[in-house]
Amino acid sequence: MTLIAFLILFVAVVIGYVLNLRAARALRAGGTAMHSLDGFHGGYAALSVLIPTFFLVVLWLLFQGTVIEMLVKAGLPSGQLDGLGTGEIQLIMAEIRSIAGGRIFGEPEQWKLDAAERLVSLRAISGMLLIATTAALAALLLYRAHRRVSADFRARQGTEGMVHGLMVACATVAIFVTIGIVASLLFETIRFFKMVPFWEFVLGTSWEPQIPLREDQIAAEGAFGMLPVFLGTLVIATVAMLVATPIGLLSAIYLHEFASHRVRSVVKPVLEILAGVPTVVYGFFAILVIAPAIRSFGGELGLPIAPNTALAAGSVMGIMLIPFISSFADDALGAVPRSLRDGSLAVGATPAETVLKVLFPAAIPGIVGGILLAVSRAIGETMIVVMAAGLIAKMTINPLDSVTTVTVQIVTLLIGDTAFDSPKTLAAFALGMVLFLMTLVINIAALRIVRKYREIYD
Amino acid sequence: MYDVTKPEHDVAQAETKISARGVQVYYGDTHAIKDVDVDIADKTVTSFIGPSGCGKSTFLRCINRMNDTIDICRVKGDIRIDGQDIHAPSVDPVQLRAKVGMVFQKPNPFPKSIYDNVAYGPKIHGMTRNKAELDEVVEAALRGAGLWDEVKDRLDTPGTGLSGGQQQRLCIARAVATQPEVLLMDEPCSALDPIATALIEDLIDGLKKQFSVVIVTHSMQQAARISQKTAFFHLGNLVEYGDTDMIFTNPQDERTENYITGRTG
Repeated sequence: MTLIAFLILFVAVVIGYVLNLRAARALRAGGTAMHSLDGFHGGYAALSVLIPTFFLVVLWLLFQGTVIEMLVKAGLPSGQLDGLGTGEIQLIMAEIRSIAGGRIFGEPEQWKLDAAERLVSLRAISGMLLIATTAALAALLLYRAHRRVSADFRARQGTEGMVHGLMVACATVAIFVTIGIVASLLFETIRFFKMVPFWEFVLGTSWEPQIPLREDQIAAEGAFGMLPVFLGTLVIATVAMLVATPIGLLSAIYLHEFASHRVRSVVKPVLEILAGVPTVVYGFFAILVIAPAIRSFGGELGLPIAPNTALAAGSVMGIMLIPFISSFADDALGAVPRSLRDGSLAVGATPAETVLKVLFPAAIPGIVGGILLAVSRAIGETMIVVMAAGLIAKMTINPLDSVTTVTVQIVTLLIGDTAFDSPKTLAAFALGMVLFLMTLVINIAALRIVRKYREIYD
Repeated sequence: MYDVTKPEHDVAQAETKISARGVQVYYGDTHAIKDVDVDIADKTVTSFIGPSGCGKSTFLRCINRMNDTIDICRVKGDIRIDGQDIHAPSVDPVQLRAKVGMVFQKPNPFPKSIYDNVAYGPKIHGMTRNKAELDEVVEAALRGAGLWDEVKDRLDTPGTGLSGGQQQRLCIARAVATQPEVLLMDEPCSALDPIATALIEDLIDGLKKQFSVVIVTHSMQQAARISQKTAFFHLGNLVEYGDTDMIFTNPQDERTENYITGRTG
């Protein structure tokens, strides 16, 4: 049914284009001076049919499921859903849907079979209605566009106006998606804070989100203090930045100022490959190479070292961030006007002094912006820490100890069978919200710094 | 008609500071400077004039080896300052540039305070032993550039906050602060208004008491006003070189005459 609707739309667009193109051509051939080229008349018809009809079809498809379900629910014999929770109602609706799809398990009650039948017929009606509406709307728009073909009609501006509207729609997609993401996090987080007090979550020093199976079990209540998890994230992110910042900056300075063309043509692509390595592969690298190396090194020094150290996960994360920081710093150095470099060299500074005392200070805003963006990536990075960091939350800042991070905890909380009404699961959303807010603040700070100082030196 | 401040015989007696013989410059495959010979006198203002792209700036940048910083640029020939070949292996281009200061077409103060802009060179070269000496050097340089009275109360404000003319004088102060022997100026007034230009021209006139000043300019009036010697470049060749009066009143070469009378540009 949907396919037919799209087919109708496609045909209408083509017809609209051809009809208007021909009409315009005929007018021009008749000696009329046309405002717009023939192609614009065709394009105007095509777009003015395409955009509204397409949105109609998409909206229809988005909402038909909900509407049909409501109708089916309203048609159920009264009393069947009384006193049931949302989960149970959802189960019944799912059963009705699977009966409608032909998959019948056991012997369902008669009212469920009736409901399934109604569901099937409603779907069929909806499909027919969709096709009819699409065809009617397309025909109406075709007619309207075709009537407009005339010497004075500004099809050029009309077409551009519609393309303009399309661009606005595309540009706002990101905004709406962001709002949607925040909203989905927010609702679950609010539910979590109804079960666990806000300050207990923010200031608690113990993170044990296990939920007891029986009421009388010891440690019957899980502890949801985010501080140890938060601290673990900070430790790993700090280690990562301590690795990534100096290496990234120095490599950028070398490549930008000192490297010959040949060295640059080799090293730059290699750095870009580093940027393209999947984080899972970095995780392997951390487990198989870095963690054992740190352990054996620590063993020789007689230090007690956990198998999953923050140091291993953090340093591999740092390696992942090197190309990120180095490309930002490279851009920032490249944006410093050449005249500054010349000015410094002309008073007898060496290239190194020029970089250190003139170019680097001038490029600092861009570099700091890049570093802050890298920090928010380090905080949000998941795969490496899931593989290489620990699972148990400890209040420690010792990088040789095993720590866990916010992202690791979110993953472990949501893995496996979960019920979305226990604090254990909802805690994941609260953690996600914290993560989101942290990276948001850092990103805003980064953008502000970059913008504030960007044009001072021009 | 021309404000020539030094009598002609003085120029003739001045010692040769820079002497260039058979200088060739190539940008990749382009032959930018063709076999230029020139002797530039000490304590004199020498101006290079010529149409755009004639190589006058390129030749200027040979004198402090700034062309070394351009990858595709090759310089051949013999350039001597006080008889010392500047391309000799014993010459460090970094030290050379401290001795041969340069001011650029567009003011390019560093994103630092006014004080730090001027102190940049002296600090790098370790020319002073303590803060008090450095203060003196900075003040002397700013006075030399005629900027001291305007900025003495705000030495710690950014150099980029000054007006265009002040910025250019700051750049002159920065170049002067390393106590160079030669000052190269690459169209120093082309981005400035007439009042700022007049200030800088006065300044140049004073600077020639200490240095040999070489200035590239597009304004023939400026060349006539401030320089004692003028060299005319055309298509990479040094066409004519001599006393400014002679070049502007009685040019020997037809190309020079066409250029200064405005027939070619």
